[in-house]
Amino acid sequence: MTRDLDLEAIVGRFYAPLYRFALSLTKSEAEAADLTQQTFLILAQRSYQIRDVSKVKCWLFTTLRREFLRGVRAHTSHPHVEFQPDIHDAPALAEDPLRSLDAKAVVNALASIEPTYRTAVELFYLSELSYKEIAETLDIPIGTVMSRLSRGKEQLKALLARTIVENSRKIIPMNRDEEVAN
Amino acid sequence: MKKSRTEITNERAKFLLSAYRHNGADAQDPIFREALEQAARDPDLATWFANQRSFDALIAEKLNSVQPPASLKPAILSGLYSAPSKHRSIFSWLPALAAVLVLSGILLTVTHQGSESDRPSLSQYQSAAFAVLSEGTAPKLDLLTSDLSRSQEYLSEKAAPRAPEVPAALRELQTVGCRAIDWNGKMISLTCFLLPSGELLHLFVIDAKTVGKISPQPGIREINGWHVELRREHGMLLMFVSKAPMPELVKYI
Repeated sequence: MTRDLDLEAIVGRFYAPLYRFALSLTKSEAEAADLTQQTFLILAQRSYQIRDVSKVKCWLFTTLRREFLRGVRAHTSHPHVEFQPDIHDAPALAEDPLRSLDAKAVVNALASIEPTYRTAVELFYLSELSYKEIAETLDIPIGTVMSRLSRGKEQLKALLARTIVENSRKIIPMNRDEEVAN
Repeated sequence: MKKSRTEITNERAKFLLSAYRHNGADAQDPIFREALEQAARDPDLATWFANQRSFDALIAEKLNSVQPPASLKPAILSGLYSAPSKHRSIFSWLPALAAVLVLSGILLTVTHQGSESDRPSLSQYQSAAFAVLSEGTAPKLDLLTSDLSRSQEYLSEKAAPRAPEVPAALRELQTVGCRAIDWNGKMISLTCFLLPSGELLHLFVIDAKTVGKISPQPGIREINGWHVELRREHGMLLMFVSKAPMPELVKYI
């Protein structure tokens, strides 16, 4: 599987998911763009180190996360979120209200997952990495990945359910007089 | 007893299937085999699994609807080609070096009214500017931003010269970013614009006094595959460089 890397093709294929992952980490479009570019710069400089082309995707996400953690941003962009860790049976979400949520609401919910679980869930959705690749990227055992995905997704469902409820409360019923007048 | 065993198995199956990708990429992975078989047997688990996959697909769809800025890909590519690989052979630099020398020689044909001692300054400036571009398809930038005003602020902070007036049509374009280049103690600014064709337009600016008294000939010149125009405005020397087609370029500079 060793061959020269086609950097342009790799950029074309992975820059968007990497940017989304970076955005989920930094919460800043400018920083996410910077982090994504930095990741590809490192790839260009160290491409000779990559022996197996099939590992490029995993390498990119690992490198991006490492670069993020290297900066002080890791401290400021991971606010502690109080959450009940023992939520197991998150409410089943009906697809319609869920579909009505915009991407920002989903991004915000994702960002509110407890940090321990969040990165695994982010990688699952944003990179479509397999559980094995997530384990490799985060350098944790496979069982831990599965546990984090299971718990993290439950939290995500609970957070989205809360968002849907809050949104429904914002819908103000029409005033009866106005209804008549119209 | 059988029901209890099934419930426990279902819990285990849910735990495993939480890591199953909604697009079916894991269908052949043996770690999921038992859980998938259980889902095929147990209607409750089957319903849960169908809901889970539907949820996963919807979340992925929502998250993937977030689009990167249009300037990001060109910026990444520009950085890639200027990033030195530790394994790059010295021979790979020769074409770039040759291009710089050729471009420098050709650009010296610009009318030059300074003294003999001024000429190397213009030559060196042009060499420095083209060396930045000749490292790859585009230069590495200090700041990535699609906002021209942010680029200008950054250049001001770095005490790099700014174009007194950016052409109106050019101001409407997104920038990719900018770079402040310290050239032997003299500052050069570089701002990159993203043209509608996807090509980049590079604007180098330097204090005209740095490179002597010159009177650039008007119009765009084609030099070794690059379209180049030099202008002197309010004491600044502006150099527009792009590989975009001439008809597109004339609309913006």
